[in-house]
Amino acid sequence: MAVRPQHMHDGGIVERRLRPIYDWLDNGNNKKALQEAEKVLKKSPSLQAARALKALALFRLGKRTQAHALLDELAAEKLSDDTTLQAMTISYRESQQLHKVCELYESAVKVEPLNEELHSHLFMSYVRVGDYRSQQRAAMALYKFAPKNPYYFWAVMSIVLQAKTSEDATKRGILLSLAQRMVDNFITENKMEAEQEARLYIMILELQEKWEDILKFIESPLYSQLVPGSSAQACIPYLKKLGQWRRLNLLCKDLLWDNQDRWDYYLPYFDSVFQLMKEGEGEGEGSADDTAEKCHEFICQLVESMTSGRTLRGPYLARLELWKRLSESGDPTSLLGSGVALCVQYLRVFANKPCAVPDLRPYMAMLPQKERQEQSRDFLTCLGFEEKSEPETTMDVQRHISCLAAWRLAAAPMTAEECLELANTLRTHYLRSFSKGLLTATLTEFCATDGYGILAAHHYFYAAMQQKSTAPVVEALCLLELVLSHSPANFHVKLLLVHLYHFLGNAYAADSIYQRLETKHVQLVSLGWLHAARVSTACAPSRALQLLAATAGFYTHHAKDSVEHLTYAYKYGTFEKLVELRAWGSRLEACVWGGIAARDRALNTLLAGPAPLLHAPAAPLPESPADNRDLNVIVSFEPPEYQDPDLKERTFDQELAYLRLKDALLSSIALCIECSDSRPLEERRRQYEELKTCIDAFSEAMEKCKQKYSVKERISISTPFPSRIFAFVNSPVPYRELYYEGVLMVGALAVGDIKEAQERCSNVSALTATAPELLRPHLATDDWLLRDTLETLANYLEFIGIINCLLGVCNELVAPASTKKSKKKANQSPDEIKTTEHLNKLNETVQSSITFLEEAFEKLPLHRYESNLEKEFSKLTIDKQFGVCPVETKLQNGRQDMITEIQNLLKRKSQCLKSLIH
Amino acid sequence: MTTIRPFTCEDMLKFNNVNLDPLTETYGLSFYTQYLAHWPEYFQVAESPSGEIMGYIMGKAEGHGENWHGHVTALTVSPDYRRLGLAATLMNILEDVSEKKKAYFVDLFVRVSNKVAINMYKNLGYIVYRTVLEYYSGDPDEDAYDMRKACSRDVNKKSVIPVTHPVRPEDVD
Repeated sequence: MAVRPQHMHDGGIVERRLRPIYDWLDNGNNKKALQEAEKVLKKSPSLQAARALKALALFRLGKRTQAHALLDELAAEKLSDDTTLQAMTISYRESQQLHKVCELYESAVKVEPLNEELHSHLFMSYVRVGDYRSQQRAAMALYKFAPKNPYYFWAVMSIVLQAKTSEDATKRGILLSLAQRMVDNFITENKMEAEQEARLYIMILELQEKWEDILKFIESPLYSQLVPGSSAQACIPYLKKLGQWRRLNLLCKDLLWDNQDRWDYYLPYFDSVFQLMKEGEGEGEGSADDTAEKCHEFICQLVESMTSGRTLRGPYLARLELWKRLSESGDPTSLLGSGVALCVQYLRVFANKPCAVPDLRPYMAMLPQKERQEQSRDFLTCLGFEEKSEPETTMDVQRHISCLAAWRLAAAPMTAEECLELANTLRTHYLRSFSKGLLTATLTEFCATDGYGILAAHHYFYAAMQQKSTAPVVEALCLLELVLSHSPANFHVKLLLVHLYHFLGNAYAADSIYQRLETKHVQLVSLGWLHAARVSTACAPSRALQLLAATAGFYTHHAKDSVEHLTYAYKYGTFEKLVELRAWGSRLEACVWGGIAARDRALNTLLAGPAPLLHAPAAPLPESPADNRDLNVIVSFEPPEYQDPDLKERTFDQELAYLRLKDALLSSIALCIECSDSRPLEERRRQYEELKTCIDAFSEAMEKCKQKYSVKERISISTPFPSRIFAFVNSPVPYRELYYEGVLMVGALAVGDIKEAQERCSNVSALTATAPELLRPHLATDDWLLRDTLETLANYLEFIGIINCLLGVCNELVAPASTKKSKKKANQSPDEIKTTEHLNKLNETVQSSITFLEEAFEKLPLHRYESNLEKEFSKLTIDKQFGVCPVETKLQNGRQDMITEIQNLLKRKSQCLKSLIH
Repeated sequence: MTTIRPFTCEDMLKFNNVNLDPLTETYGLSFYTQYLAHWPEYFQVAESPSGEIMGYIMGKAEGHGENWHGHVTALTVSPDYRRLGLAATLMNILEDVSEKKKAYFVDLFVRVSNKVAINMYKNLGYIVYRTVLEYYSGDPDEDAYDMRKACSRDVNKKSVIPVTHPVRPEDVD
């Protein structure tokens, strides 16, 4: 963030002297900035602005104590110089001491009570800490001597926010009527002058549910003066609230005559028709549509009114919507005929557009399943196509693909053989397009033909799932890589590739494509499930660490930035957005994926980080957790009976349960470490008690989750793989007991309960000793189960990382590094010697576990690679070269890189363990 | 078939099917929130009946005196919803807002290589006002066209008299 204030007051010497300091700070060279500041201070030691900038430079150099001392000193001087105050504000903001900014400006306005700028900074300082009452006070004080509209509405908004957050209904009512009165007065005095002020007024009326008043206001000359040309549209929600269906109906019809493609007018129109139908006999006045017949007639008129030129989808889709709504309460066929026929008709008109299938998808579910399946071929044949048709133009290719896709959405699922046959046919279509010059993709635009490849990949996948064989998946991967190499912009293909490489358990191959998606910023949140969340389960911890660090970076950055956006919203008077921005900030803070990523990162660091230090995430678990995943990004071509409307909610619940488990585990480890440091025994005991509660909670939750999450989710091509909670709680290795005994072993040792520590230690040893035997039957011999095997192993690797860390802590407890080795042995009591023996035993057991793991990774099944794509390609009579299909190499290298990484890492762990033996 | 509504923060979680397109930049969060906080009426989204984001437009109003104008910062349509006239619909909205704000003209920058977009803007009445040299950084840097269309307030269409010599990015105000 730039440090330099936007307006420097003092155009003279001071500014000239400060300029180099600002330059260095803005360039990130804080050391130079500090030197420069000191140079200026030599000449004028009391220059406040220079001291404030020095403090900022010190803070950014990590010299917090010095920085804060300087800031405190300055604060005591009762400043009012804007340059100094702003520099101090930045320091406080960066050190998350926002309340100090409030204090700073509180005393500044005392020095200069009529300084508008200082008052407005004071207001913003309250905004940053969310102190609405003080905001109100500051805004009113400002308005009194600088009577400008924005200040007045800052005060109004601050009252509204107090009302919104008040739990006391009476208080809320009083606050809202106060806010309303304040605006009413302004309106009477003819002082309202901006659109956003009008919107704030509507917001206040909405919160009081005064729908009538809102309508009156919207219809007033003032509203159309402030918000020109939108009154009609603005009435819609309130007419609905008031149940004025007849008026709503006429209004929407009017709007639709001029905007036949606006879905946001159709929906309230339909609402009004169906309400009027329910109400029955109306007054009959006007030409409101109060029957399905009239509604249909209106839609037909819209269709007919479309003159030459563009055919709009609106009226056609409206007919489908009418069918759908009628089918919910009765039989639409007498009026509209068969639903399948209507859908087919839609396809016939719009099949040349890529949106035809996405448009139809939501309406497939309304069709009676039997009828839909029986007549599904109508979708394929309505334009004269069949599976093997060979369209000659790109337009016809798009039509063919739309018809094929709609047919598959409508039809009954096929057998594996049928899927394979169709996939092969589609692949042939794709290959044929080469020789026909139908591949029109460029670096930045993809083309219709890609659709053959995508649809083929989906069907290869369906076949694979039925046959429990990876061969069709490999076939899909080869084809998709070919499509991508000729259509590098096609992100649908990239998404499928990432997902399918993960399906085979190959994180590195997936990563090669993921990087080409160039996901960043907020996409790290919405698309984290696709890749970043899978990498550590596929045993690629160092790449996982990189991805998780990038994710964490996004959240940290946002946490620092988000309050600033609120100040912008006040500055520009966009009050509606203010509420939205606040909610958005909390939604990101409460992100479950963000929580998992932070914990996954901490646990991965224990395993694969440069030093096995625990960086427990500072942020506590969110109170109202938020699901920010975008699960619609991969397109599905499965029929409606496979659609799973609860999937998002259900998988979110699983992710949340997993987050809670991992949080409890990580908190326990953190407590272990805390109660083993040099704090007094009394405090340690307190920590130990806390540790017991924490690990008990973990243990109980593990048990509950084991019962709740026993049946794995169905795997589909477009949704996340089953949550990690399944493999974790159902693991053959008893993690509940292992972690329970493990952390309590450390705790007991830390408070000197030697006997208990020894007992727990031998329990962990015994449990660890059996782990290899328990894991062995779960190691795949066939590549079909490789992904599951890797996840099982990843969980065990996580244990290796944790137990290593715990043994390190124990080592510090029994033989602190500060004492010399020779001394240690000599001074040990018999009890201490026994403890050391127990720990050595556990250490050796973990080491043999590591040997087992090394062998297990060596023996992982190879990916089978059989594809006849290259052969098929060579049959084409074109001079294009196939090039080398990268799939085989990617799979082999990915596997080898993973094994090498894990073995190196295990070697390091083993060496580390050996160094702890005494 | 479209719902046109103001872009909201939550749309950022579902705009992947638009933003994964290589010509659409995904900016840092604060870039979007700044536009939302400053020019909410200029940030509109087109949504399909099933709730998918079909495209969006992001813009602002800036400049002094006769340079007061609407600016298109980003206009993007998902590949699945192209050739439906959506870009024109969104541009219309931005022009309407600019008219209401009494702007003199609307302008935008486009890569000189982006023939499809340039043609579309020409069809919507935009002219190439000037060339901005090496406006887009990359390997190699690419020039931009600064395209303009006059609003009704600019009665004499002064704002759309092309400048014949190219300018450097730092000279663009």
